[in-house]
Order: sequence, then structure tokens, then C-alpha cells
Amino acid sequence: METLASGKFIVTAEVSPPKGTDTRQMLKNAALVGGIADAINVTDNQRAVMRMSPLAACSILKSKGYETIMHVTCRDRNRLSLQSELLGSSSIGINNILVMSGDHPVKGDHRGAKPVYDLDSVQLLGLVQQLNSGFDFSGNTLEGKTRILPGAVANTELSEAALIKLGKKISSGIRFVQTQAVFDTNSFSGFMEQVNSIRSKYNPDMKIIAGIIPLKSVKSADFLNSNIAGIRVPQHVIDRMKSAKNPEKEGMEIAAGLIGKLQGMCDGVHIMPIGNHENTGKILEMAGI
Amino acid sequence: MIITRQKEFDDILGALKEEDIFIIGCGKCARKLRTGGEPEVLEMEKRLTKAGKNITGLTVLSSACSISSWEDVLSGNPEINKSDALLVMSCGGGVSVISGEAGIHVYPALDTESLGGVCRDETLKERCGLCGECTVWMYGGICPVIRCAKGLLNGPCGGAMDGKCEVVDRDCAWDGIYEKLKETCSLALLETVREPKDHAGKYRVKM
Repeated sequence: METLASGKFIVTAEVSPPKGTDTRQMLKNAALVGGIADAINVTDNQRAVMRMSPLAACSILKSKGYETIMHVTCRDRNRLSLQSELLGSSSIGINNILVMSGDHPVKGDHRGAKPVYDLDSVQLLGLVQQLNSGFDFSGNTLEGKTRILPGAVANTELSEAALIKLGKKISSGIRFVQTQAVFDTNSFSGFMEQVNSIRSKYNPDMKIIAGIIPLKSVKSADFLNSNIAGIRVPQHVIDRMKSAKNPEKEGMEIAAGLIGKLQGMCDGVHIMPIGNHENTGKILEMAGI
Repeated sequence: MIITRQKEFDDILGALKEEDIFIIGCGKCARKLRTGGEPEVLEMEKRLTKAGKNITGLTVLSSACSISSWEDVLSGNPEINKSDALLVMSCGGGVSVISGEAGIHVYPALDTESLGGVCRDETLKERCGLCGECTVWMYGGICPVIRCAKGLLNGPCGGAMDGKCEVVDRDCAWDGIYEKLKETCSLALLETVREPKDHAGKYRVKM
């Protein structure tokens, strides 16, 4: 992803692979952000709900000319499978890889599935470095190394143990962090202070991309608060949504306001819409991007 | 201590096709946990009898997973010879040992949950993940292989909110690990990158 090195404010947007083989909705959604996002994140069975493989989805999007960031969770594959997936993706030019543990199967639509977690996210990031240097997990030489630009995820409210873990991810040489959705720039500035003290020491070029979820209704805010770990929609935001005549428009204004403020705080924003990207272009325009 | 819980009675009854059943309890963990001691064995006899089964006899072995010989069990419990099947109220270890010896169908009455312990009458579930490569000292004595729902080794996932695990109703293991290591000025152990487990260690395979 060229933008990572350009110093420009980065915009990424999230798209889900279809639950099925029909890619028309995914492509329609990608087309809504294709012109404005530097890259499209493609999720990996997000919330442990089974969908098309992100490698296949990325490959389809790439063939249409989109730059992608492929999510890779540790939930569904052991170390053999993770490596073959990464060799495969890198060999077809899908090199932006976002690594995460992944929501537990009991949160999704295949509750009885065996959770794998053979590697955790820190270990998978270490493995990516190993593949990039031309060796597999066991130290065997690869015929052609990977050229992966690894990224990691972070919540913006971190426990002490979570901050230590993020430190391990950052010092593994990741190129970017994409955060869970931000709704409160005050608490986000605390997060940035914590991260800055680590990145200035171990990884000064790493980019921080803040997550944005444009709210659509009070109900959507309540849903995020009770169902999505790592997200806290503050009461003052919920109150704004409650008193709004047009909650969807209010949600867009809140998102645009956040993006405006975040431009001075971090290196980019990552838009994760509820539903599709029909409002994303407008929100970015409202934020002056 | 092997942590067990009783299966649903209907599931036990559904599996038991035979009519003449001998019930074996276990005097160790299952007795202490009240899942397979004498009172539970007697209760099982009552319920199975009511359901139309012929209970040929019952016993509580001192330990179902550790028997001196099957002949020894038979000599104390000759009714087993008149039975079509055994119902064993012990952990999977006991059921497997007896299955290997008995020569008739052996059914488990319990489900084995985890390896844990008991302290001051409190049952402590999930204390060891049986990974075959114990490193619990690195984590302040709290085993992340089993106490973390995802078995992560380098810190918590993003699923914990306000210190609660996203999977099971309990505190995130990593907050406990952090506190323990902080108490002993050992946080460097948490800051160290931990390598993935060597699962071949479980099989004692020479690499």
C-alpha cells in the first residue's frame, strides 16, 4: 500500500465477503468506496459468522483493480494453513495483511466449531516476518519469500495486559494498526499517547488508522455497546442521536466531526459502515477529505 | 482433581440399549464433586429402575481410573458377570480404563469438563490445559492455555470488556495474570514474546 509511506492521511473502508458465492453486492459496495479509499479491508468470517474466504474475495476485488487489506484471524487455521494462505495471497499480490485473534466461534453462527488459535496474533505477526525473510515456521527455506505488509488491530481502551500485548505487536515491525471504532476523541488521545510512547521507541514509521462506525440509529448505538467488544458509544453521543430529527444524518455528522478531529491526531481513518457504504463518500466529503 | 458433571438422564437412558445394568461409581474426584459417589450411584439406580432397567448391582471403586486388576473388581462384584452393560460414574479416564478390561459395553454417566482442583470446599475448574509442556510459572500460576478461552499466550484478545471474557461468564484471565506478575515484580515475563506451543510434546514424539 503506497499510501503507508506517502505521509498522506489514509482512508480505508471495510467490505465483507458474501455469505454465498454471489459477489455482486460485495462488488457494488466496493464500487461505492473504490474512488475514495486507499484500500478496502476484507473481513475474515467476522464475528465468527461464516462467509466466503477473504483470499478469494480479495483476489476478485484485485482483479477489478482495488487495493485490498486482507484480514487473517487465528481462529480457523493452524500454523500450516495460515502459512499456505499467506504464501498464496502474497503470490497473487495480496500483501496487505491485517492480523487478529478473531472472535470466538461461540459468538457466531457455527457455535460448535473447534476454535483453533494454534498461534495468537503476536505469534502470527512473528511468523509473517519469518515468511518475509524467506523461511517457514520450521525454518525451511521458501522458494520465493512473501512481501507482506503486516498490520495489527487494537482497542482504544486498553487494560495494562492489553497494552503490553500491543507493545509486542508494534515491536514486531508491523506497518500499521487499525483500531476498533472511536467515538470519543478525548479517550482516543489517551490511547495515542500510550501508542506514541511505544512506536517512537520501536517502530516510528508505523501508521495508526482510527476506526469509524457511522451510527444509523439509537438502536445501532445500543447494539454496538452490548454486542461488540472494544466499542463504547458514550452517553453524550447516544443523547445526540436520540434528540436528532434524522438520526442517520446525525450519525453521519458525528462521524464526519470525528474524522475532522482525528486528522490532527493519527494517520488515517478506517470506515466500517453498518450495512453498506452508500454514505461513506458523503461523510468523507463532510469531513473535508 | 478431574472436574466432571452428570449427563442429562435422558441422554444416559437413550444410550443404554441393554437391560441388565451394573453401576460403578468412583471414590476419588467424582465422589468429592458429588457426581459419582455413593449417593449419586444410589440415585442413578433408583432412576434407572423407575425407567424399567434391571440394576444387577452397584459399587463405588476406590478409584475408577486406577484398579489393580479386573479380576479383583469381579471378585468383589460377581453381579457384573450377570450384566449386559456397565454404567460408569467417573471421568473419561475411569470409563476408558474399565472399558479396556470389562469385555461388555461400558457407558459413561458423566461428562469430563477439565482438570482442576478443590480448595476450602470450592471447586476450582480449568486449572490445567494438559498441553504437555507446563509453563504456568511464566503466567503467575494462572494457565492461559485453559483459563483464556482462546488459549492465547501473549496477552488478551480484544474481546474482553471491563475485564470480562467475551466467551464465558468470568473475569479475563489476563487481568489476573497481570496482577499476579505485578505483585511479584515479574512483569518482564509478560513483556516477553512467547512462542507457539510445541504440540508434538503431547505425544512424546522425538523430533
